[in-house]
Amino acid sequence: MFYKPRNALYSRISRRRFLELGGSAATALGTGALAVGMNSVIMRSPVQAQSSDDAKWRQYAGSKLTFLSENTPPSFAIRENIKAFYDLTGIEVEILTDDLPVVQQKAGIDLRSGKSDYVLNYVQDKPIGAPFADFYVDLSTMFGDETLPQDPNGYGDDVWFENFLSACGRFYSDEKIIALPYDAAVACTFYRQDLFEQYSKDFEAEYGYRLEYTADTTWKQVLDFAKFFKALRESGADVPYGYAQHQGAFAWTTQLDIQRLMYSHGQWIDFPIDDKLGSKRPGPANWGDEQSVLMLQKFKEFGDASHPDNLANGTLELNTVYQSGNIAMQVQFHEFAASVENPETSVAAGGKTAYAPCPKGDPEWNLTGGPNVNGTNCGIGGIGINANASEDLQRAAYLFAIWSTSENIQYDVLAGLGGTPTRKSVLERPDVIAAQARPTKMPNALTFDAVYNYGIKDPNFVLGPKIPEANEYYSITAQETQQMLAGQKSPQETAFALKEQFDFLNDV
Amino acid sequence: MTEATHFGKEGAFRLAGDLFRAREHSTEVEARPISDPKPRPTSFNPPAPKRYYLYLMAPAIAILAFISLYPFFWLIVLSLQDVDIGGGEWVGFKNYARLLQDPRFKDGWILLLQYSAMCLGLQLTIGMILAVIVNNSKYEKFLVTALLMPMMMAPAVAGLLWLFLYNGTFGWYHWIFQSIGLLDSASILATPGTALYGIVLVDVWQWTPLITLIALAGLKRVPRDQLEANMVDGASPMRNFFAITLPNLYPVLLIAVLLRFMDNFRFIDHILVLTGGGPGSATKILPVYLFEVAFKFFKLGRGAAIALTLLIVTIVLGMILVRVFDKPKSGRT
Repeated sequence: MFYKPRNALYSRISRRRFLELGGSAATALGTGALAVGMNSVIMRSPVQAQSSDDAKWRQYAGSKLTFLSENTPPSFAIRENIKAFYDLTGIEVEILTDDLPVVQQKAGIDLRSGKSDYVLNYVQDKPIGAPFADFYVDLSTMFGDETLPQDPNGYGDDVWFENFLSACGRFYSDEKIIALPYDAAVACTFYRQDLFEQYSKDFEAEYGYRLEYTADTTWKQVLDFAKFFKALRESGADVPYGYAQHQGAFAWTTQLDIQRLMYSHGQWIDFPIDDKLGSKRPGPANWGDEQSVLMLQKFKEFGDASHPDNLANGTLELNTVYQSGNIAMQVQFHEFAASVENPETSVAAGGKTAYAPCPKGDPEWNLTGGPNVNGTNCGIGGIGINANASEDLQRAAYLFAIWSTSENIQYDVLAGLGGTPTRKSVLERPDVIAAQARPTKMPNALTFDAVYNYGIKDPNFVLGPKIPEANEYYSITAQETQQMLAGQKSPQETAFALKEQFDFLNDV
Repeated sequence: MTEATHFGKEGAFRLAGDLFRAREHSTEVEARPISDPKPRPTSFNPPAPKRYYLYLMAPAIAILAFISLYPFFWLIVLSLQDVDIGGGEWVGFKNYARLLQDPRFKDGWILLLQYSAMCLGLQLTIGMILAVIVNNSKYEKFLVTALLMPMMMAPAVAGLLWLFLYNGTFGWYHWIFQSIGLLDSASILATPGTALYGIVLVDVWQWTPLITLIALAGLKRVPRDQLEANMVDGASPMRNFFAITLPNLYPVLLIAVLLRFMDNFRFIDHILVLTGGGPGSATKILPVYLFEVAFKFFKLGRGAAIALTLLIVTIVLGMILVRVFDKPKSGRT
């Protein structure tokens, strides 16, 4: 095949030499692939304010961005449709998805170490936004930039659902927006309407009022419901337990679980701070006061009336318990409606489940003198840009951020994979309005009335606490309340233990 | 003329003493005349100066220092700072002082010791029994292959598998535990009183085979002549096991116990998957708390202080274990 001199010393490559060459080539290729693959790449064609919109969208054609996101429907749907973004901009976006705690760790390490392996981040409001707020780009500086394309609907508070922009975009200051609302998980009540109707008379005979759930149903009544179903179950009836909480391994949702009960009664919050902006120095905790001790007592009563696996059920497991027909009621995040309404995986599908706002505070349980509200909290996932990235990378990332939060994309995600829109205009579309009643092709839309017309509106919505030590705060809250639910501590001891540890945490 | 007469009587005695001096030191060694000392033959490769070997080893030592010693000293430096990934400030021993006030740190230690003791005790006992059974079995190869399977699984995957088995809604083991009356309606991971046993069971399931394999290797090396001699003397199989087999296994068991002991202080994958340290803090052993502090709260200084205390205690307990397992051996000799 090749010319070989007659007096050549070697007639072929030795095995050793072959291995050496192969090893060197593999190392070079691996290093190159890592260098290229792990990092975002930027290419730029200069544009001006007068340039066409098309030119502005395509000014970074040939670039590559990496987006680190939670494994939620929008990210899956956007990954499916990523070609549309590539066609529009010529930018390649790699979307990496993982569980929220992993995203939190990877994003945290990237941001705090001054790197930008992940130019775009999923900024879940408190677990990621609160501790890392200072490491994200202030998007408001780009909103008016004429050399960048802009969303025709804008980015003001009025285009998003109430409080959403504050939830994921504003931390410690209202002068800066670090993320645009990308997806939402808002709490509402899922309950088995079929069982409520079936046992209404029995319940009324025992408790003196109807077994029905409305926007005015209080926590005290929910506790009655839970006790009623548990007693029925333990007497041998073929019914599920009444209620279960978000405990399990995910401390963040455990905190949200107790926060709803606390806030409903007089809008009680953990620290004397602006709930929507948060504070880097939150001061002494409110735990230990009369109201907090009473609420912990009630929380314990809920725990005692709950499904026996209560302490092992995180948010996902809780939904599984509901889907499998083992509880009649759960306060759950509205993005789970799609799975509950899937007849292949849920016995609660097919019109058996109804959706309502979170329970309201009960006057008998409110010692604060404040209003009783339908305390509702959320996880608003924003999309933010790593401030460690170069200016051009930030600008290229901005293109993806505004595209992925645009009305059309949000509608596609809702219709395709059961997303949860953050722009008001999505809900104004006729087919989305129609989908809010059964039969529906968008099951999450069944929750929209409870979530968007009640839950997220003031005075019901609670966002905080936005504090830099949010993650340790969640861990402490979950640990102490779970010990109380297990009977290892009294409510009073728990309240004081929480106060002591929060004050220690915040150097009070 | 004999040599004795040539050197005189005194000289002859001295010569005889020299010739047979081996007898004075040991009666076991046959006394032989000392041959004339001969000059050593000149080597073709004369020994190089020690400095030369040092030069040869220097790259390896440098790499070892870089990957091992540098992080260790950096850990010490970190533990004296209030630091996150972005930077920090020098705080002296404040992190250590804070640990003393932290109830989660103290609880983590207590749980870790309980967890390690349970895991080690069960794994050693069951592992030894399995090794003896496998050693005498005609299906040894099959059994060894079967035993290897849990170890082949990544700890996180094992955790996930057991999470499903323990699940209170559809878990098979949960159903078994309930059926035989071990559990009430709550699953094993849902109650602080049983959750630790739940994770111990997973560790025992996955790592007992390691003890079995190591013990099996040791059993193959037990001298048959000692066993047979003991049996001829009328010892029962049980007596034989404790008098001959077990003492011969101490060196290999020491390795097994040390490995598992250190692993228990390091491996938390299955705990993170199964319980995340809960419910409450029922399974939050110290390494889980360390993981939280360092990689969830990003308090690297505090994390480094916890890690150092963990390291020191691991070393001390390891030394104690070596002494405990070394004793019978030294007693025999």
